[in-house]
Amino acid sequence: MRLEKCYFCSSTCYPGHGTMFVRNDSKTFRFCRSKCHKNFKMKRNPRKVRWTKAFRKAAGKEMTIDSTFQFEKRRNIPVRYDRDLMATTIKAMKRSLEIKAKRERVFYKNRMSGNKLRQKTENQVLVQKHIHLVDTPAIKNLAQTQKVAQKAKLMDVDMS
Amino acid sequence: MGRLRRSRVHKGIRDIKRKYRTKRYMRDLDQIHDDIKPENASKFEKQELDPELPGQGQFYCISCAKHHINIESLQEHMRGKIHKKRVKLLKEEPYTQAEADAAAGLQPADTKAKKAKAAMMDVTETESSSTTTTA
Repeated sequence: MRLEKCYFCSSTCYPGHGTMFVRNDSKTFRFCRSKCHKNFKMKRNPRKVRWTKAFRKAAGKEMTIDSTFQFEKRRNIPVRYDRDLMATTIKAMKRSLEIKAKRERVFYKNRMSGNKLRQKTENQVLVQKHIHLVDTPAIKNLAQTQKVAQKAKLMDVDMS
Repeated sequence: MGRLRRSRVHKGIRDIKRKYRTKRYMRDLDQIHDDIKPENASKFEKQELDPELPGQGQFYCISCAKHHINIESLQEHMRGKIHKKRVKLLKEEPYTQAEADAAAGLQPADTKAKKAKAAMMDVTETESSSTTTTA
């Protein structure tokens, strides 16, 4: 049993699912579902469609270079069944997935690290730009209090 | 008269549906990418007279994969937006299944790797043999 990757979205095509398109130059394209097939027929470039894996990798949304990607491979050379080898392989797979998940979490954290500060400054700029729209007694009174304070200052100057 | 619907009304457009069927499948961008290479382009530039094609197949735009009826029509097409857009698109590297696999975290097949390993084994063997001979 071979699990192919979808040409469009890079998800796994399980046996009995999806479609295969054979072009007239005998090149084959596998699609995991009709959504991907339709998008292919519309001649869209998966690198430019935001929901595909290819886009996410190309745009730096996901981890691309990592040693944990070295293990998943298309194996064309069959390996003789060995009970111990199987056990160790499964153990190693679990461990490598664990490590991968951890690294992905770190990558996501790094990617999102500057967001809070940026959002804050953006919000501040927005408020300052549209301060005239704010209708609260505190701000309305601010001008009044300033006026009063100025008057008092003037009076003080006069008195002295 | 009530409110007219404006969203989700593109479902039944027949022409668009027909355009995106595979019955009249146009050449894909990766195919055209190969076509425009100089070694392949000459084949398309000088085609044999074919009475079934527009302009007997003499006025062909390679990058748009389209036959034109005469030289004026072809030149007009070359000046147009659609052609220029296509030329720009063709400058990008075409998308391949290999890229899709790489995006899913799947490495290329291991057939060649084993050969390399075998070659390395040979090298080490010869080296060891050579060392033995020298020793």
